[in-house]
Amino acid sequence: MDLRLKAVQLFHSILAKAGRGGSLPGSLALKMDPSFIQKFHMPDQVVLVTGTNGKTTTSNLIAESLRESGKKVLNNRRGDNLNVGIATLLAAGSDSSYHVLADACVIEVDELTLYRQFENLHPTHLVITNFFRDQLDRAGEMETIIRKIQEVTKDFTGHIILNGDDPNSLRIADTATKAKIHLFSVGRNSVSQDTTDEASEGKFCPRCGHPLKYEYYQYSHIGRFHCEKDGFGTIEPDVYVSDCDYENGTFTAEGRKYHSFINSIYAIYNCASVITLMKSMHLDPSAADHVFETFEMKEGRNEVFHFSCDSIINLVKNPTGTNEVLKAILSSDEEKNVCILLNDNDQDGHDVSWIWDAHFERLDVPEVKHIICSGLRAYDMALRLKYEGLEDRITVIEDVQKAIEWLDEAQMKSYVIATYTALHSTRAIMRKQEKKHI
Amino acid sequence: MNLKILWMYHDLMDLYGDKGNAEVLRRRAEKRGITVTLDTCTIGEKVNIDDYDLFFMGGGADREQNLIYDDLLSRKDSILEAMAHGTAFLLICGGYQLFGRYYRDQDGNIVKGLEIFDYYTEATDRSNRCIGNIAIEACIDGDTFMAVGFENHGGQTKGVTTPLGKVLSGHGNMYRSESEGFMNEQVLATYMHGPLLPKNPKIADAILKRALKKRYGEVTLEPLDDTLENCARDVMLKRLNCL
Repeated sequence: MDLRLKAVQLFHSILAKAGRGGSLPGSLALKMDPSFIQKFHMPDQVVLVTGTNGKTTTSNLIAESLRESGKKVLNNRRGDNLNVGIATLLAAGSDSSYHVLADACVIEVDELTLYRQFENLHPTHLVITNFFRDQLDRAGEMETIIRKIQEVTKDFTGHIILNGDDPNSLRIADTATKAKIHLFSVGRNSVSQDTTDEASEGKFCPRCGHPLKYEYYQYSHIGRFHCEKDGFGTIEPDVYVSDCDYENGTFTAEGRKYHSFINSIYAIYNCASVITLMKSMHLDPSAADHVFETFEMKEGRNEVFHFSCDSIINLVKNPTGTNEVLKAILSSDEEKNVCILLNDNDQDGHDVSWIWDAHFERLDVPEVKHIICSGLRAYDMALRLKYEGLEDRITVIEDVQKAIEWLDEAQMKSYVIATYTALHSTRAIMRKQEKKHI
Repeated sequence: MNLKILWMYHDLMDLYGDKGNAEVLRRRAEKRGITVTLDTCTIGEKVNIDDYDLFFMGGGADREQNLIYDDLLSRKDSILEAMAHGTAFLLICGGYQLFGRYYRDQDGNIVKGLEIFDYYTEATDRSNRCIGNIAIEACIDGDTFMAVGFENHGGQTKGVTTPLGKVLSGHGNMYRSESEGFMNEQVLATYMHGPLLPKNPKIADAILKRALKKRYGEVTLEPLDDTLENCARDVMLKRLNCL
């Protein structure tokens, strides 16, 4: 028995009983022992999930699907994906001598934490969702992240599940020569386009620098591509998704029909990665279908509050995620107000220039009646919209409480977009506002 | 009046929302009744730089910067010709560095610049990366005012004798240095992203005037309502204890 571990576990269970989660126990553990994470005896199957967008959703889908297949699974379902969160997870899920009590661990790992902890976590499977331009000052350039992940996977002999339609992810297959690579790809469907104004990274072949040729784009730079010079991107996917039906929320993979938890292309990619992983583990992927069908997104992902009219909040972190949220907001032609909460705390990224890479100009449609800019950098957001010619429709209300009240009083359907550190406080305000109507 | 802007490597050198600068220049000119032609030019495309009043180039990631390098160097004569005929230049980050003598990376490899100006840039180790919000006191064409932005660069630019401004908070050309950017009568070069121009309308207008000068001489621009711009700038100046 290890007393330090015991203390951390006790600390965690006290916090849990008080209804508090969080990474404090792991933080304490790592302060007492920087090599804390290395000490654990991991189960036979350890799945690490990383990438820019969709990590939390994908890792939860995987954990639930493995449970559906009869496995006892330990996972960080709330997305505490840094060292301290992972340390907390392992402490809470093991016995007093560092043995993790599960058949499988599914761990969402921050892209930057991955290269530091990769070997310590003894992964058997690595799932990469995608790589996009993220908060640059926090994450460094995407290029650096990819290179670091290439470094730690070059001698990896386990399984790597990659998005074959993402040129940035596919680069890992070029360098992880000892690993077993499994690719997924999604066929042309009703959202696919021949050209795009969204792609920012991945325009050029990583091998030779020649421009990549796309047969179609799904969103951002995700799509079917290849290099005409050296064939990069010409793939034979292990799992190929076809017949995406956004009206009925279904798609087909491996000759079987699946249900998607929301009708969006990125959700289908999340599901495709899960099916590919299941296949690589020799599990029946049909167990995942029940999970896909009933899965509920985490708090702050398309979460509805009932004001005088419905108000729907979504988290945004980077241009690609924002573009997808904007598409969802604009998919119906009813009249609506929009509220954008832009913060620049540590977890949001201090550099707010990413808002200029997101397609906020798409809000310039007659159905969008008013746009409230709020949060610590409300005026930066207002300027972003002003220079798209939306000047007459923007109002700055720096105080979030007042911004939410404004939406309710306007008696119109509304959409709230919030960066990370604004999300939970805003949800609390929206919950209170909702209670006024009960 | 008509303003012709050339946006170089729009598809590669657009790392930190720098494209916002082009949008701001266009809108602010159009509000004054000036028609704007905004052309882009990327690797391998033919263009006569001298046809333009303003040359704008943003920053890129290392990989993108390496891709454009040969192409940019091949355009040196065209750039010098435009410069001699009065084209104004706005250069951000990577664009700024490449107009100098050279860039020396962390491994000591030297990448030759256009060698139009005497300054040069040397990479630093990770601990000295210049990153964060920055406020400067800029002095452009006789007008002195405060400007804000976000800097994120490892390169330390040395040998600048005519900076854009004095650092009030942040790093500037070098880690914890006193000066930021480079400027002469035609060229304004800076590490300030943000993007630079939305929150600094005075810099935007100064660039417009410099560009219009090529064909129209000294022009006066009617003032615009910059309430939002000034609020955004002041939020940052207050936070950095400059107001």
